[in-house]
Formats: sequence, C-alpha cells, structure tokens
Amino acid sequence: MDPPDPSLPRREFAKAAVALGGPAGLAACLDRRDADPGPGTRQTGDLTTEDGSTSDATPDTVPTGDPASVPDRQHAWGEYVRRDEHGNALLPRHQVLLYLTLDGDGPPTGDERETVATAFHTLERAYAWRHDGLLHSVAYSPAYFDRFETPLPDSVDLPPPRALSDFEDPTFDTQDAVVHLASDRADVLLEAEEALVGEGDRANGVAVDAKLTDVATVDSRRTGFVGAGLPADNQNAAGIPDSEPVPEASPLFMGFEAGFRGNQATEDYVTFAEGPFAGGTTKTISNLRQRLDDWYGEQTFDERVAEMFSPSHAEQGLVEGIGDNLGDDSGIDRFIDDVPARAREAGRVGHAQKAARANRDEDGNVRLLRRHFESTDDIGSDQRVASLHFPSLQRGITAFEEVRRAMNGADITRATPAVRQRVNNGILEYIFVRRRGNFLVPPRRHRALPTPRPETSE
Amino acid sequence: MDRRQFLATTGALSALGFAGCRGDPAGEGPTETAPGDAPGSEPAEGTPASAGDTTTPDRPSGIYVQTFREQMSMQGGAESGDYAFALMFTVPHTFWTVTGDEFSKTVIEDGDSLHLMATVWDPETRTVLPDTGLSVEVTRDGSLVSQEVIYPMLSQPMGFHYGGNFSLDGDGTYTATLSVGGTTVRRTGAFAGRFGDPASVEIPLEFTPATREEMASRPFDRGGEPGALRPMDASFPQSVLPAPENLPGTVRGEAMTDDARFVVTTLETPPAGVDGDDPYLAVSARTRYNGYVLPAMALDATLTRGGETVFEEALRRTLDPDLRYHYGGAVDGVEPGDELSLSVATVPQVARHEGYETAFRQPDDVSVTF
Repeated sequence: MDPPDPSLPRREFAKAAVALGGPAGLAACLDRRDADPGPGTRQTGDLTTEDGSTSDATPDTVPTGDPASVPDRQHAWGEYVRRDEHGNALLPRHQVLLYLTLDGDGPPTGDERETVATAFHTLERAYAWRHDGLLHSVAYSPAYFDRFETPLPDSVDLPPPRALSDFEDPTFDTQDAVVHLASDRADVLLEAEEALVGEGDRANGVAVDAKLTDVATVDSRRTGFVGAGLPADNQNAAGIPDSEPVPEASPLFMGFEAGFRGNQATEDYVTFAEGPFAGGTTKTISNLRQRLDDWYGEQTFDERVAEMFSPSHAEQGLVEGIGDNLGDDSGIDRFIDDVPARAREAGRVGHAQKAARANRDEDGNVRLLRRHFESTDDIGSDQRVASLHFPSLQRGITAFEEVRRAMNGADITRATPAVRQRVNNGILEYIFVRRRGNFLVPPRRHRALPTPRPETSE
Repeated sequence: MDRRQFLATTGALSALGFAGCRGDPAGEGPTETAPGDAPGSEPAEGTPASAGDTTTPDRPSGIYVQTFREQMSMQGGAESGDYAFALMFTVPHTFWTVTGDEFSKTVIEDGDSLHLMATVWDPETRTVLPDTGLSVEVTRDGSLVSQEVIYPMLSQPMGFHYGGNFSLDGDGTYTATLSVGGTTVRRTGAFAGRFGDPASVEIPLEFTPATREEMASRPFDRGGEPGALRPMDASFPQSVLPAPENLPGTVRGEAMTDDARFVVTTLETPPAGVDGDDPYLAVSARTRYNGYVLPAMALDATLTRGGETVFEEALRRTLDPDLRYHYGGAVDGVEPGDELSLSVATVPQVARHEGYETAFRQPDDVSVTF
C-alpha cells in the first residue's frame, strides 16, 4: 500500500493513513498536521465536546493521561466519547484491531505478563482516556485460556466461535488476543499503535519501555472508521455502487444511523457483576463484507427502511434521511410482536425487528452493546472492499448467538415464502460474514495475560 | 468486444440448444420485437446482446413462448456435502422478481456481462433443490470481482435455477464460488436430516471469445404464443416434476389455474418426518407445459366432506425423494367424494424469465373432487 496522497481531503486522508499504519502512516499524519494545523481529523459540527463546544482545529498537543483516573472497566468508553444532540454515543472516528498470537507455547510467564502490563500502562500515561486521546482494550480468546490447565469459571460464557446461520461459513479468529484502539485522532491512534507493536519509542512524549511485540506477533491488523462524512468520503470501494450513494451525513455505509441509545445495552448491563473477572465483559467481533449494489440500486428508500428497521417504519414514514429524527430510540420495540404475521402482509421483514426479538431480557433490557464501525479492509488482500467490523459486548457470548440467530429469521421464512433465506429478510442479502472471534474483556486489573482464575492463582 | 463483433460470433450453437416449443401454437401471433431491439431497452454500446428485454403489450395472460431462443455456455460442475452444482451462463437477461404479489422488472444494466445461472441438486436422487439460498462470489487471481445472493428463477429452457446478471472485468478466467444455504423447508423420507448444512464449491468461469460464442440469443418468431420452449437437453437434472402417474400414493385429480397445474395425491401413511400416522395429502405444483416445479408458494387447503370442513390448513412446503418438492399436510382420513379446495395465499416467490412473468400471478381458488 502506498502512503496516502497529501492532496486527499482530510477525512479520506486520515482514514487512508490509519489503513496504511506503521511508521509511514504515522509520518504522513504528522506531516499533514504540521502542514495543515487546521481541521486535522476533525470537522465542524459533529465533534461536540462534552461541554457542548465545537472545535474546528486539531490542537497540536494531545492530552496526556493519568492512569489513576482510568476506569477499571476496559470497555468503559461511553462516558468518554462524544454524544449527539439526542445523547447517542458517537464512537471514535478511527479504530484499529490488532489480533495477536503469543510467541510462546503454554501459559504465559510472569515476565511476559509484566511486559504486557507495562505496554498498556505506558499508553494510559501517554494519552487521556477519552475520544480525542485514546480508548483501548485488550481481550482474550477461548484458545488463549486453553493454554492453561485450569478452565475458566463456569460463570464465564465464552465458547469458541461458530457458524450462526444456515448460510455462513466464516473463518474463525482464534488468535490469543485482540487489542482495540480507538481515537478521534488518526495521529494519536497511529502513534499509540507504533508504541504498542511498532517502532515508536515515545508515545506523546512518554518513553516506551515495553511492547506487545516483545511477547506476541501481530497476526492480523484491521482498521476502520465511523461517523458522519467518513463513509461518504471512503465509498470508492468494491461493494458500493459507483453512483456514490452513501449520504454525507451517514455514519455508516448503509445510509442510516445505528446504535441508538435506547436500543443499546448499558455498560453496566453487559458487565460481569461478580466472579474473578467482575468488571469485565465478553466481546464478539465479526467482519462482514458489504455488497450494497442492490441495496442502493434495486431498493427504494422505503424498501431500505423496511428492511433495516421494519415494514411499519416504512409505512408510517418514521424514518427521515439517515434517521436522525428517530432521536435516541429507533422505536423498534413497538414492532416486535407478531413479526411473522406482519412479514406475511408486507412480504418483507426488518433487520432491527428480527434481532430485537432476542435482544431484550425478560425485564425488557437490551442485552447487547454494539460498537460496529466501517472498513474498506479486505482481510487477506490489499483490495478496497466495503466491510463492517462488528464488535459486540454482552454478559455472555450466548446472548450474541441468540440475537444473531433471531436475525436469521428462519422462522419468518417458514411463515411466508416471500421472505427467503437471504432475500426480503432484513439486510441478509447484502452482508457476508467472513470472520468471527469470541473474546473475554477482563477488567483492567487483570488485562495483562490473565490466568483463568486470576484472584486465586496469581 | 463491441456489440457488432459479438453479434457476428453468435452463429455457433452449443450442445445446449433447444428442441422447439410445446403447447398449443394456435394462439395469436406474437408482436414482439427482437431481443435487444425493443424501444427504450437498447443495450449500451459495448455490451453483449441481451435477452428478454422486450416489451409486453399484447402478451396473453398465462405462460407464453418466449420471444428469443438462446444458447448458453456450460462452465462446469462440482459436488460438496449433500449437493451437486452446475454453473453456466448466457447473455444478460431481463427478469421479474416477486415479493408477495409485487412484481419488479430487473432490467439489463450497462456493464452487465452475462447472466450467470446455477442449479443445485441431490446427486443421489437427482432432485433439484428449489427452495434455499444461493450466493456467488466471483474472483479473479484472488481479487474480488463480485459477490451476490442470486435469485431463484424460472425460465423455459432451464426450468428452476438460481440466477443473476453479473458484470465482469473483461476477458479472462475467473473463479465462481457457489455457496448454498441449508434449507428450512421440511424434508421427509430419505431426505429427512439432509440439506440442512451449507456447502460451497469453486468452479472455474471462462469468459473468453470462445465461451461467448457459445452464448447467443436470436429472435424466435413464435414467441408470444401460448406455450413454452421445451426444456433444454442438459447434463444436469431438470426441475421437471414426475408425471401424475409416477407420483406415489393415489392420485385424486388435478386442477389448473393461471397456468399453474396442481396434481393432488394422497398417501395412506405420511412419509417419515411428518408426525402421526394419518393419511397425507400432497399437492404437486408445476408449470402447465413443461411440468417445472413451482416452489415457494403459500398454499391453503380445505377438505370438505358432505358439506362439512374436515381439514383447513396451510400446506407445508416439503421436499421428499418420491413426491419431490410439494405442499403437504396430514389429514384426518380421505374418502371418495371429498372435495379439496386449494387457495394460493402467496404466488410462487420465484423470479420469472420471459414467458413466465404473466403466469401464476392471480390464480383462482380451485377444487378437486376425490
């Protein structure tokens, strides 16, 4: 991959620099910041800071961090990201996933654990725990815990990844760990990555004394972006029609907002309340290739609304544009009773309404906290192909599996032949699952190569 | 290649030519124009000739003979798991997709290179599997060229197949990965427990002047008459359902509506996979002329005896090695004189190639007296 062209508009440039990564990506970002200290990765209007002010400038200085103020939950991002006017979380605009394989066999050693602990501690000192600093987490796979003789406690619901529909055959991510880095600033993200697994010897002025690559190898590096403007700017990818249909305002390629506050689990809800990993959670990460030619080419706006939300959303005209008018809740809970009967009438079923059926507990609480972001990575090639990285947090992997199965809508295909396995069946026609991995996100105190029973065996 | 060059090379006939047409040819003559020449549907310069892109002002209701004849290029076959696959292509096609009772015309787009077709069957019984999902990924030298869920379709020469128009990246050798989903249709008899898992195969796709010579479309002057081209001769199984006399059980009669033909048979005991041991009622739904399977309908049945309703249910889509794809249900006894009323609640949710887009759209309720 070549360094990004400095003449690119800023959002495309920042995305391209993150996708490139490494010293070259970082250098490109820093050169650009020096030459163009204006907007950087920011843009007017969508970058509302917590006090409600907006800023059009990337400050030269990056706020440094205070490890003492970092929350114990690694997944505690919600209080530290931007919010839109409805209170919906706006995830950091640039994100990287690093899938790591430990170099040694068997359980990690105390020295290795110390190295990992130091590496993350360095990041916390270097960058403020917030969207314009750095948010990060590390999570461990079932394969990692298989290195130990002692199994995870029964209370931890962390099966290996598996196919979850009758029509998918994904490759499973069974590396030991995945590191998730997220920032609104591409330069911060890249510098942090260089500090963790690259050549960087300083991170925001803080000396780097330990690297993850001292004990592990990066098996797969995946990048992405989310937020108004970035999908529109980066829609020149396979899978998106040449007509460039992605609206400027849309945070995602499919043209709608997602992850409304009222339709997301809270961080409290997905967090383990007790056990050795109390304060932790589970995380699945899927990668879905997107094929949006027919989504935009064959479907009217109303049909897209029907397939994304529900046919009733379309009939009642509930969604305008990218759906900002929905506020902090898509209203999907009004349309999850008797979904088969509605599908019989409409000949279609909505993605959100299918999934929501399984995404509520008996008290009506939402079970999954979805944190998906877009990508043009084509894992395994250098091609630019539209895809979605789909991290989801939940108390147990089973919750994710149940929601995903509900999203398959197999019961709806039996209820009406108009809804087929992948046609007229939510958005299944347009997404192809390529990867899936399951992970445990330990609380921060156990994030460095934990044993399966950290309180008792450390 | 530009269109003139392409048209000049279409003289050669492949081994998959057509035997002629069947049905009553005495209908009114066709008024259609030749494929690709219809007003408003002129293919863009540089695209191959297209098929089925004609207007339909005076078409009869019901099945009519398509207005062109075509050849296709057979690309290959492969087996995996419970499935055998075949892949072929012809010129880009217009077709009509169906959602509920809404028909939507898919026109040929600039840049469409071909109409890709796949058929999937059980290699043991050679039963075509008509009610599952199929997707195709096309790559070239490891790079993604296209990936789509393709549609279940019905055409006169091909019968039931999965198809879609694709845009390729010039001449060359591609790889098509066909992925079939596990079906949610009920399976009975020796099919119980089969066809529930997905499977994929890779088949090379040669898009070259030589293979393009094999695909051709020519106007057919009997197009538009009631009837249909005969099924093509092919190395893979056809989706033709058994003749009534070859269906298991006691054939009780048949009915026709909107050129959908329903053959009704009953079995004294149900096939394995259906609960209970009550008699089993099966409706074998096929096209009028070629007897192709009509899958993915919602079909309601009411059985009355002496004016009293003894059975009233939606029949279930079912795949059985002897009955093949049918609509079935267990009934509480069958007696001579029973009247079976059939009502199509949802028309076959299968995309239509030319000649079928005017059929099985507004079927009337029909009845069969046992």
